[in-house]
Amino acid sequence: MDNMLMIGLSQQQVLRRAMDITANNIANVSTAGFKAEQLLVEAEPYTRARAEDGPARLNYVADWGMGRDFAQGSLEETSRPLDLAITGDGFFTLETPQGERFTRDGRFSMDAAGTLTAADGAPVLGEDGAPVTIDPDAGPVTILANGEITQNGMVAGRIAVTRFEDNGLLSKIGENRYIAPEDAERELAQEPLIRQGFIESSNVRPILEITSMMEVSRAYSSITRMLQQADELSRKAIERLGRPG
Amino acid sequence: MRALSTAATGMEAQQLNVEVIAHNLANMNTTAFKRQRAEFQDLLYQNLGQVGAASSDAGTIVPTGLQIGLGVQAGSVYRITEQGSLSQTGNELDLAISGRGYFRIELPNGGEAYTRAGSFSRSPEGQLVTSDGYLVMPGIAVPAEARRVEVNQQGQVQVQLDGEAEAQILGQIEVITFANEAGLEAAGDNLYLETAASGAANVGVPGQPGFGIIRQGFVETSNVDAVTEITALIRAQRAYEMNARVISAADEMLAASANLR
Repeated sequence: MDNMLMIGLSQQQVLRRAMDITANNIANVSTAGFKAEQLLVEAEPYTRARAEDGPARLNYVADWGMGRDFAQGSLEETSRPLDLAITGDGFFTLETPQGERFTRDGRFSMDAAGTLTAADGAPVLGEDGAPVTIDPDAGPVTILANGEITQNGMVAGRIAVTRFEDNGLLSKIGENRYIAPEDAERELAQEPLIRQGFIESSNVRPILEITSMMEVSRAYSSITRMLQQADELSRKAIERLGRPG
Repeated sequence: MRALSTAATGMEAQQLNVEVIAHNLANMNTTAFKRQRAEFQDLLYQNLGQVGAASSDAGTIVPTGLQIGLGVQAGSVYRITEQGSLSQTGNELDLAISGRGYFRIELPNGGEAYTRAGSFSRSPEGQLVTSDGYLVMPGIAVPAEARRVEVNQQGQVQVQLDGEAEAQILGQIEVITFANEAGLEAAGDNLYLETAASGAANVGVPGQPGFGIIRQGFVETSNVDAVTEITALIRAQRAYEMNARVISAADEMLAASANLR
């Protein structure tokens, strides 16, 4: 046997994960600032799927990583003054008890003390590394494209936009947030582009996801059929060859 | 399979989305109603391959890792406190706030609530009350023989009494602002309650910097925009259908495995 069952099994496992990722993309089709993901698949290079090294080398399938599509999501107008969207590269920086977190979800609010916060109350950091504060009684807030907050013509602070050398180093931790390893190279964007009154919608492309879902589901059933045939083959072999006389 | 439960969280989220939209549409004609929006966040991630983990003895590392998300959750449903447009009614006790602020209402249990719905009436004692009969604070009593009540933009209430040339000042309507209006708790009946998130009530005179002005003879309409809500509804419905498709595709995959002998 050329280990058909085992190779088929490895493919099934990968396809299930691909399905899980597609399901997560579709579930987050209306999550602000969400970035779509896809599974990266390759032939598993380290383990041979056959005992002896024949002319045709057989490999298992392996999912070695995940690609995250950091493309810009479309901007949706909300006309809420504290809804912010970044156009281009970069992340808002939040301060949480566990450390700095990064997000593209700019649906901020102001707490009773005037601190700009994310939905769960985590303060949004300014360029100086301190939480951004606004005077709640000083009239409407205008946020310029470069992140400067002005109120009554006075500059109240500037929102930090962190850019990473390699966005692939970020991991998602849920709540639309990312965590970066400490040694990830980063810098504060000098000229970010922030849009006030907009939110960045999810960049999941539904048609793409549905077609990839169909692809996965069809591939899964053809692998299953292949497994059935392999099974059938060995059953027949046993029947024919095992018959006495 | 995670895909089944992931898609289920997606369906649940879209259901909440539709519920919020339905509530907005149902309140299209509610005086001073503020529309709401459901806000979603991605759920937990399962780390199957850690970013930066060593992938060989030679010091190569996993460049991207493998994280599988487990779906979506509702973050919060928040109110968009945009000004609604003012509609003229001509009724002398219809008051609208143009700008920031709320009227203060005394509840029957002695507590305080806040509202922007200013379609007031007179109680049998002549006091200014809401349509539920709750007292508008500070209590302003209009004498029975008053011909006409005038409320100016600064909230001063004046009456013209029969047989008197001079208008008489009855009192001052105050407006209340909060540092974080979105943090008020909606209590139904167009009333809001103060919470720890909203900050303390900040009493002011209409027209002061940071406080809105009073417009007599107007009511503030709901700020729900039908077109926005309907497009949001269509999107929510399609997203719901897509999640349902994922469930049936995942189910087919499971069925295929189950039919293996």
